[in-house]
Formats: sequence, structure tokens, C-alpha cells
Amino acid sequence: MKNKTTVEVINKDSKNVSSSHQVNSNYKSKIRYDKKAESEFFVDNSALAGFTGERILYMAVRELLENALDSCESSHILPVIHLQLRILDPDNDMWIISCKDNGVGIPSEKVPVAVCSFLTSGKYVEKQQRGLFGVGLKMIAAFSTKDTDHPLRVWSKSHDEPESYFDLRTDIGTNKPIVLSRRIVNKTECEIEGESGFKVEAVLRARLSPVTKNKIHDYISHTSVVNPYAVLNFESDEGVVAFERRTSVMPNPAKEVLPHPADMDLKTLRKAIVNHAYQKTTLHGVLCNSFQKMSAEKAREIVVKAGLELKLADKYNEHELIRVVNVCKHTKFQSPNTDHLSPIGEKILTAGMTSEYTVVLRKDIHEDSGPHTQLSAKILKPSLTAYSSRTCVINNRPTIVECGIAYGGDLGSFKLYRFANKIPLLYDEGSDVAREVISEVEINKMGISKKEVKEQFRNAETRSDRAIEYLPIHIFFHICSTKIPYKTAGKESIAAEGDLKRYMKSCLSDLYRKVSAQIRRELKIKENENKLRLYKFYIPFIVNAISDSIRIDVKKLTSAFNGLAVKYIGNELAVTTNPGAFANPAEIEVGLSPKGKIIGGIKSSKKALYPDKRTVDKTPNRSGRHETKEKHESDFENDKKSTQITLDAFRKSKLRKV
Amino acid sequence: MPTRDKRHQEVITRIKAIMKNISDDVLLRQTMPAVELPKIGYDNTIWSDQKRMLTIGNKTVQVGPHSAKKIPTFSQYLVMANAVRRLLDEEMESTIRGMYYATLSTVGDEKNKQKFWNSQEDSDDAIKAIELMTNVPREEFSVTSKPKGMISGPINLLVGGDLIDCNLGSRATSQLIPTNIRDLEIVDVKADFVMVVEKDTVLNNIRKSGFIKKYNAILMTGSGEPDRATRMMVKALNERWKMPVVIFADADPWGLGIALRYKIGSESLSYDSDRLVTPDAKVLGMMFSDIYEYNIPEVARLAATDEDINRANDMKKKPWLQDRQWKKELNLFLEHKEKCELDAFFKHGFKYLADTYLPDKLREAGII
Repeated sequence: MKNKTTVEVINKDSKNVSSSHQVNSNYKSKIRYDKKAESEFFVDNSALAGFTGERILYMAVRELLENALDSCESSHILPVIHLQLRILDPDNDMWIISCKDNGVGIPSEKVPVAVCSFLTSGKYVEKQQRGLFGVGLKMIAAFSTKDTDHPLRVWSKSHDEPESYFDLRTDIGTNKPIVLSRRIVNKTECEIEGESGFKVEAVLRARLSPVTKNKIHDYISHTSVVNPYAVLNFESDEGVVAFERRTSVMPNPAKEVLPHPADMDLKTLRKAIVNHAYQKTTLHGVLCNSFQKMSAEKAREIVVKAGLELKLADKYNEHELIRVVNVCKHTKFQSPNTDHLSPIGEKILTAGMTSEYTVVLRKDIHEDSGPHTQLSAKILKPSLTAYSSRTCVINNRPTIVECGIAYGGDLGSFKLYRFANKIPLLYDEGSDVAREVISEVEINKMGISKKEVKEQFRNAETRSDRAIEYLPIHIFFHICSTKIPYKTAGKESIAAEGDLKRYMKSCLSDLYRKVSAQIRRELKIKENENKLRLYKFYIPFIVNAISDSIRIDVKKLTSAFNGLAVKYIGNELAVTTNPGAFANPAEIEVGLSPKGKIIGGIKSSKKALYPDKRTVDKTPNRSGRHETKEKHESDFENDKKSTQITLDAFRKSKLRKV
Repeated sequence: MPTRDKRHQEVITRIKAIMKNISDDVLLRQTMPAVELPKIGYDNTIWSDQKRMLTIGNKTVQVGPHSAKKIPTFSQYLVMANAVRRLLDEEMESTIRGMYYATLSTVGDEKNKQKFWNSQEDSDDAIKAIELMTNVPREEFSVTSKPKGMISGPINLLVGGDLIDCNLGSRATSQLIPTNIRDLEIVDVKADFVMVVEKDTVLNNIRKSGFIKKYNAILMTGSGEPDRATRMMVKALNERWKMPVVIFADADPWGLGIALRYKIGSESLSYDSDRLVTPDAKVLGMMFSDIYEYNIPEVARLAATDEDINRANDMKKKPWLQDRQWKKELNLFLEHKEKCELDAFFKHGFKYLADTYLPDKLREAGII
């Protein structure tokens, strides 16, 4: 993203005309080469950062929320975030947006640059983060400067510092901050309560269409699903929504790692050499120290293969270095390690899935003020969840695919959640690889047939033909990598690059197999529910027909018939599922859904991913029945075996409980 | 109060007995009620060599609320049975469509609302089930279909006490065959033979040509699929009035199926073959071979559809169509993939059908 200079063509025709039409030389004019400030470039090309028309407020919410989460996670602080979006001046489309977090804050001397200067970021390192470019917050500052006369207000408190307050604007022409005022906040007026934190408040000129508003709500809800350890408060003119913390487990922060040699290019190599310039080392020394999976032996071998003579690393010219790069491209290395990735992890995703928060708009009609929409949070609890993950290498970058399934319970219909590096993807679902994966993995892996599903969920509000979309199932895909293969510049859908699709498919198949027993049981319950409903609907017809023909007491016949139906279904259940599940069928009334709640995830069998990180969490899982497993095996074989055992034990315990 | 029709009283008694049995199942025996009915369809249809027609086998089905799929069916049967009882109680008549409307309703609550009948087919099936349960054909309990069969020729009918001479109007129109056969009686027949054609358009053409007078024939049609009254009339004329019966249908699998409906019966009504089928009827045309023998021009032939081909292949497999003549005809059809309607003879001239083709065929069969 080093796009610092742009060429401005003053007269476009001049180029074409000059050579062939000498006569028209009058039209010739000089091309002026200008340098543009980063800020001006990004303001002029705001679409590059997604800040276009309708989406300005959505992008602002996104950037602020992502920054806040990154800031907390990098120091393993449980996030508490307050996000506010209110209209300031409806006549001029002025909105006031603010976000307060309890993250590490920004050291006071860095605040003006970090907030206002484009391409300034603490995140230019090789590890997984939400933000990357140092553009988002600056965009908000620049737009606020461009469209309004309000300064950007910033409160920051970083460790061991008092809270400072700033009024800032961006000098768009030079990419430099303008500090209008700056002071230390005295203790009585503190905005930030904790040890550290950051708050920013900006005024933006934008329109908020209902579609965008829904996207903002979706964005926050989806974010809360993968960040169940965060307290999120969203305040708008329509009310306040609070997303509670559902687990205190946090993902391990991603570590910065060295680049992988397969991903080497001239730029990275030269940068490595420059970094070692004062040490006077050899080329293979540089290779060893600057790239991962590079042993001394391997480095020497590469230098020999490239046919280079031994000299100090900074003495090689570009032509020699490119040979090293070429050799590296043809050499096999161990797969890159995944320390720089921070997957959501089973515990956290399960916590998110077992209590999905969604924002709902309720339409209330007040007697005096007419219709009025009220924002509130709705918590969906599924009856079962499962998790699975895969590690793979896509485009030479280690990539982790995580997949989760939540089924039944409060979930009413099919829904696909997509995340890339924990950022929800909301647009372009149709062209995303996850869609393809879902339509290509057959649902009979769950031990159920399409016909069965369509029969039992005939009333599902889906227009799709795919059986999976009839099920009340939520499927979650999370791809994390330092380089996500996005399909478009808008970063809203992921392409089926390399083996990504294959891994996603195997992940999903794995999940389908894991939940098959429970899904079968759920389906049986659903079937019985449907059957009970049929009895409820049709028994009156039968009873009326009989009582109309022969004189008989309607009430008596109805109650006898209802009892018979319930007993019949109870017996059937007892035979097909677990004894005791419906030991007392008399308790079930016709029309009442008998629900054997099955909550809990199944352990992933593929979890040699982070063998050193598994000791962290001992918090009891919300589901209650989820097995708390605290094993610390180091080698994979052992791990696999024990997983098998716990799986069996898990199944047994489940059988007993249900 | 006038004495009620004895047959009707019998049906009412039977329906009440069924209802009583079901309520006893529920109240006294506390078991899931069910009605057992003969299975209808190909796999329970048997060819009887002795009767020379399709008859129903011994297989039965249990319809009751024990299976989720049958719950609606079971209640449909009971609702229909009660409707029939009410109809007879009120000494009324109804068509099958009337019964459909009389029992229309919706099922379920606001969220899951659906129709009690998906279509009239469902209610027709329920009426059939009542026939099977009570062992009484629906004409006997005053549920009939809309008349569509036609008859023309030297025959006198007594319909509901009125004498109808079917020859009188034969220059202009044909007589509809009433479907309430309990009110129908054949008074006398003065013809030499009965000719059944598939469609009323063809019948009209033949009637206009003076065929009836020339050959002293009775012309009949079922207007496509014949209703029961038409089939019974054909059977009565053949067996009680000793009239030879010949059948002409279109040269396509559908037409052949219609012709065979008269001669051997059908799978869906195999339980009622004894009343409906005329084994001595002769299917004379239109044969697939006639397309080529009578040189029907290619423009008048139609290309067989996939449905036609499937039907022909199905027919080839039926054990009761293993006769060499039918196999040959079906193979000819499958080979050329062409079909032809009787109307195609009009291409040779409007009188060709009545003046040339039909007399040829009848002479061949020794009828005239």
C-alpha cells in the first residue's frame, strides 16, 4: 500500500496525439507530475477504504469497533466497549459517533499522529489483526474535517499516564494533524474509568438508510458472536442494546513471526539485509535470522544453489539476490507455523454460539406519539452446537479454518455467518466460498435425507431448493490468515483459492458427522412435534364426524383420542430413542412441544494446533453439560487417543443425561 | 314420513357401524383405530382368465392415525363418510364435485394453515374409500359425476320416468347418458351393433354422415375417459341386449388405454370391474398399423411425446397386455414414435371416416 505518488494527467489526449498527428502539435501540452499527500489521496479515493455514500456510518462503526477490540486483545484485556451513534442535526445529516474502550490506549505524544496521519499504524507486523493499514480511524478524522466544523475529540489514557484530551483536525493537504487543544484531564472529569483506555468522538455527515442501519446492527451482533468475552454496549436514538460477556476466556493474542521463505521476495530479502547491516553478517546468517523454518544448513544450501560467492550480505546486488529468491521458491520448507494467527477457538466460539445476541427492532405504537421503533437484544439459544477446525497453507500463508454449527432451540431458520480474521463479512454472501461449500457438502452426512428434512420443515420460510436451508441451523465459518484471499477490493467475500474450499468442506463434513446422532434425535423430536400438531389439527375433524353420525359425547371422545395420541407418540419415542426420555407421556399435552434439550459441543478431534495454549481456561461452560477438559498432552498421538476416549465418554455421559 | 330407500338405509347403517367401531377403539379398547381397505393400484391388480378382466387382489392397506402421513387421510375418510350419511339422511343427490365443496374446510392454526383437501382428487379418493368401506358403489348412495357420455341411435331409455328415444334427435344431437343409473332403464334396442368412439367430435361426424340409419348402429362415446355410467351402459347393451360392441379410439397410447378401459377394466377401478367391464367388446381401431395402411399424410401425424413413450413402455410390461396383437402394435408405435387421431381421416375428406374406414374395419371383423 505504498501508493504515495500519483500521476495526474492534465491532458489525456496529448499522449495519443503526439506521435501520429504531428500537425496538431498545438494541442500538445505538458504533463505535470504532482505528489499528493496520503490523506488527500485517501479522501479522493475513499472507496478504497470502503467509505462511500451510504456506507460511511457502517464503515465508521466497523473501524472503531475493530480498533477497540484489537487494542484490548493485544494486551489480553477483557474488552468493555461503548459505541454510540446518534443524530446531531437531522436537517444536515450530521451524526455523532463515539466509541470508548478499555484497551491499552495510545501514548499521549503519539495520539495526534495515530489518529490523523494516514498510513501510521502500530500494526505493520506479520500477525493476524483486524485492522492493518492505518487508514480507518484517519478516514473518520479526515471526513469529519472535510464535512463538518467539529473537531475530533479524543480521550486517551495509556499505562502510567494521566488521561489526556485532544481536539484534533486533519490537514488533508499535508497528512499532518492539527492540534486545536490539548490538556490533561483532571481526575473529576475523567472519561476513562479504568487503568487505560481510549475514547474518540467524531461528527460525520452521512445518510443512514434502513438497509445500512440493519447492516450496522448485523455487524454488531455478528461481532458479538465471535467476541463473547467482550461487553458491547450500543447506544442509538432508538435505544440501547447491551451485549453481555458470556465467557471470560480470551483468545491468545497473536504473536509476531518471521516471514516464511516460500513467501520471500526481493523486498523482504533486502529489508532483512538492511536490518542486519550493522552486524556485518553473511547472507546465510541473514536468512537464518530473518525467516522462519530456515536452519543454518538449509540457508547455506540455498546460497550454494544460487551459485553465489561468499561475501558480506550487504555486498550482493539485486541480480544476485533475485537468484536467492528464485531458489527459495523452488525449495521445500516445513509448513509455516501458526503462532501469528489467533483463531477464535472452540470454547469461545461455542460460548458465542450457545447464546447468540441479535439486535431486533420492535415497532411499538404509542397512543400519543404514534409508531415508534425500539431497539432491543434478543438472545437465541440453540439446542446443540459443535465445532471443528483445520490448519492449512493457502498461498504460502498458514490459514486456519474454523467451523461451527448451532442447531435447533430458539433458532428459527438457516443462517450463514462468515468471518475473516474475526471480522464479520456481511455483503456478497452469494459469491462467497462458504456458500459453495455448504451447497456441495451433502446433508446426508448428518444421517438425514433431503426428503425427510423437506417433509419435516415444510413451513420453513426459505425460497431455496437446498435442503440445508430448511433446517433451523446456523453455520459459522471463520478463516484466519495474514492474507485472506478476498474476492474483491471491498473485502466482503472470500474466493475459493487453492485448497481452501477442500479444507472448508472437510471441516463442515466433519461437523455434520459429529452432530449426526443429535440431529437425528432432534429431527425425531421435530417429527413427533409435527405429528402431535397433526393430531391436534385433525382429531376435531375425526371426532366431529363420528359424533355427528352416532350420538357420542364429544368431550369424552376428544380427550380419549388426545390421550391415545400422546401415549402413542410417547411409546414410539421410547422405542426409537432413549428409554426414560418420555417416561411420563401424560405430562405432555398435545400441542406442547416436548423438548429434550441437548446442549453442548463436541470436542474437535483435530486440535494439535496450539498444544501450549490449552491450559488457560477453566471457567465452567455456560451450557453446563459441556465437558471441561483439562488435559495437557504434548504430542499429537497421545492427544488424538485421549480425544477419542473423551469423545466416547462424552457420548456415554450424554446418553445417561438425556 | 315416506319410507326411506332400503339401499340408502343400508349404507347409513354401514357408515354408522364403522364410526361406532372407531369410537369403540378409542374409548373402550384404547387402541389406535384404523380402517382396512383393499389396496388399489398396479401391484394389487390381477388379471382373471376366467372373467377376462382385471380384478382386485387380496392386498390391503391400513389407514389410521398411527402414521403421520395417514392422519389427514383418515380424517378425510371419516369426514366424507359423515357427509355421505348426511346426504342420504336428507335424501339428496350430489356430484363428486358437490361432495368436495360440501366438505371443504381449512386445517390448523394461524401459523400453519392448510387446506383440508389439496384438490378434488383427494375428495374423489375419499369417496372411493367409502365405496370400499361400505362395499357399495357410489351411484347407489347418490353420489355421481357430471354426465359426459353420449348415445345416439335406435334405443329407448327411461330416465327418471321419462321415455327418451335416442334416435329422434340423432340428426342434430346425441343424448347424454345420465350418471344416476338408479334412475335409468333401457326400454328397448333395435340396433344391430354398438359402436363406441373415443371423442364426441368424431361421434358427431359419423352421426351426420347417416351412419346410424345405413348400418342400424348405436353410436356411443365416453368423451375421453369414460365415466362409470357409460361403461355400465356398454356392458348392459352387450350382455343383456346381446349387442356386439366395437370400439374405436385414437392411435396413441392414451387412446389405446381408453379402449381397453371398456374391454378389460382399469387398475384404479379394478374393485368394480364386475359392473363396468365388457370383455366381449372388440377394439377395432385405430391401430398404429392403420396409420400406414390408410396412408395418413405425414402432416396429420403427431410426434410422440416422452409421456407417450413412457406410457407405451409401461403398457408393454403389463402382464395382461402380453397378447401378440397389442405387443406388435406397441412395438410399431415405439419404432415410429408417431401417433394419430381418428380426426386425421378428415384429411382424406370429411366423409372418408364414416364411408370408408369404419365400414372396412367392421367388415373385416364380420360385424356387417
